[in-house]
Formats: sequence, structure tokens, C-alpha cells
Amino acid sequence: MMEKTLTQLLITVLLFFGTLFALQQVDWVSLFKVEEITDKTEEKLGDLLWETFKASETENSDPILVKSVDSIVAKISESNDFDKEFFKVHVLNSDEVNAFALPNGHLVIYTGLIVDAEHQDELVGVIGHEMAHIQMQHVMKKLVKEIGFSVLISITTGSAGGEIVKQAAKTLSSSAFDRSLEKEADIKAVDYLTNANVNPAPFADFLYRLSLADSQLPSIVSWISTHPDSKERAEYILEYSKDKSTDFKSILSEKTWESIKEKLTFSEN
Amino acid sequence: MIHIKQFSYEPGDHEAEKASNSYLMSLIAIIAGLPFPIINLLATFIFYLGNRKSTYFVRWHCTQALVSQVSMLFINSVAFWWTIGIIFWDESLTNNYFAYMFTAFIFNFTEFVATIYTAIKARKGIHVEWWLYGPLTNLICKPR
Ligand SMILES: [Zn+2]
Repeated sequence: MMEKTLTQLLITVLLFFGTLFALQQVDWVSLFKVEEITDKTEEKLGDLLWETFKASETENSDPILVKSVDSIVAKISESNDFDKEFFKVHVLNSDEVNAFALPNGHLVIYTGLIVDAEHQDELVGVIGHEMAHIQMQHVMKKLVKEIGFSVLISITTGSAGGEIVKQAAKTLSSSAFDRSLEKEADIKAVDYLTNANVNPAPFADFLYRLSLADSQLPSIVSWISTHPDSKERAEYILEYSKDKSTDFKSILSEKTWESIKEKLTFSEN
Repeated sequence: MIHIKQFSYEPGDHEAEKASNSYLMSLIAIIAGLPFPIINLLATFIFYLGNRKSTYFVRWHCTQALVSQVSMLFINSVAFWWTIGIIFWDESLTNNYFAYMFTAFIFNFTEFVATIYTAIKARKGIHVEWWLYGPLTNLICKPR
């Protein structure tokens, strides 16, 4: 009796794993067009979320500024073999020191961040960091985690209310990613920058400076509230970039950068 | 996979009804608690406890229903938590996931059909022993 039971158990287990193995040979993911569906969802979601920012805030239309930011993204894309068409950069007029990524390659930068940057490579570092969030699929992961997959689907099908869309927008612009994702984005940003021959040290300086400003101007420096532990981050960024090449060159000309800063500072007063 | 066998005695109508109900319990639980595999097991287990002191025929079939639910719990728990991981954490949809879900479905479906078939037969007092679970039940459940 015992023997019969064991034999049948063995056959059943083998049958189970045999079935599993056979079914694993099928490429279900492409059969069900999983990627196509998730890509479409991300596309719609990104455009929808960008619309909400566009509606409530004003885009900076200075052609030199827009072109310069575009050229930074283009340079990083080219040196790292990214599809530069995928990134859609938007500069919004705001005192807030903030930059964030939305789904489908939308990258939003506030003028406050550009004003606050003492060196253009600081801005390039933040852009590289946000591009890393996009490249590493962090944005969708965060949305799925915080909002839930079903709600995201309901947003894209238009059955979710405006409040939910606003909440999703707020999640991305003013809440933090997981610590591990932030570290990954920092490290990737250093790689992107060094590949583009840009010095990553100013990016670390920027974080370090923000960590000092933390206690003084908490309301304006939102990038700090969404990116805590800046001091520690500055340290590992420097540590990681220690033995990279030293033949660095900034992307924009010094003249262009100065004129951008000047115009922004002037318009702020 | 399924054998109709001669039971050691002829079960009465009342026994047949109870034995049949033990399978219906797990069916009802499957429908009611579909996403939560533990519910099926609990329902079947409670029914099993309630009939512990019943006649051999009733006990035998409650045990077979329970044993089948226990084995399904393993398969379905993996499916359950894997799905939860995809919905709430950042697990991605992979070929392995789909393969597992279909395998789990095939095994669940087979069990589902066997359960309905056995419930109907047991109601008529016919003794049905399943592949693996039958011999296993014979090891666990002895006549008194
Ligand atoms: Zn970040």
C-alpha cells in the first residue's frame, strides 16, 4: 500500500513538473503581447500626467534654455546609446528646486533647480539621475507600487476621476523612490556622465549643498525632500566616480550657461 | 485516474449524502474563496472535523476530499503569492509565471472535475478512489 502511494506520488510530481517544463517552452509574454500592452499603458499614462502639469504650470519658452536642456539630454543619450527621441524634456517656471521623471520618457525640470545650480554639471547630474529613473523603469514600478496596477489601467481607460490622476502626478513629483532605486539611479547617473565625459563631482557637490540647505529652506527645495540622505549620497557618488577618467568637458559652453542663469535670475526678481 | 471500487460494506443513504457533501464543501469553497487557497482547505478541514466520529464511508470520503485540498494548497499558494507579487510589488510578468499558472489551472481543473464526479457517485453510495489520493486515504483512514 505504502509503495503504491509513493509510486503514484512520484509520478504525479513528475507529471506536474513535466507539464510546467513543457509550458515554459512557450513564449507567453510575446503571445499575450504583454510588452505591447504595458508600453501602451505607459505611453498614455505619461502623456496624461504631463498634461496635468502643463495645465497647472507654465512652460519656460526661452529658446536658448530649451535648446540647451535638450542638448544635455541628447548628449547623454548619444554617449550611452539611448534612443534620444524617447526623452521629452519640459522646463517649468517655478522657484521650486525640483526635477522628476514621468512615464513614457517625460522629464520635468523646474527653473528653480537651474537657478540653484552653481555649475552646469550639477544640472547635468540631476538630469542624468532622472534619466536613470526612466531607463531603469523606476517610474512605472513606483506608480504600480504606490497607486496599484488596476488604478493605473483605470486612469488610462479614462474611468478614473481627475483626483486620482492628480494623486499619481503628485506621487511622482513630490514623493521619494525606494532608497535602493535612488542609489541605483545615482550610480547609473555617474556612469552616464562619465560616458559623456562630464565630471560627476559637481553632482555630488550639489547634493551636499542641498543637504546643508535642508534645514533652512525646506519648502522650496523639494528635490531634497524627495531625495533624502543627500550627504550620504554625495559620498558614495564621489567614491564610485573616484577612478573614472579625468578628461572632462562640460556640455554647454560657459557663455550659454551664464546667459541662461542670468536670464532666469533676472526674471525671478 | 479514478477507480470505482467495492467498499467494505454497503453505505446507507444518509452516509452517502454526508460523503457527497464533503466534496461539495470543497467545491463551494472554490467558488466562494477562489483567490484565497487557504479557504478551500479550511472549509474542507472543518467539515472533516465535524465528521470525525461518523461512519467509515463518510470518514473515508471526508479524508480524500481533505487530502486533495491539502495538495492543492501547495500549488495554489505559489500561484496566489506570485500573482500578489506582480500586482503589488514590482515582479514582472514572465513566461515562467504563465507556464506555472496554466499548469496550476490544469491540475485544479482536473481536481474540480474529479470532485464533481465523485460527489455525484458518492451520493449514490458508490465508492470512488482517486489516483494517489485513494491509496493515501487508505493509509490515513482505517475502519474502526
Ligand atoms: Zn531620484
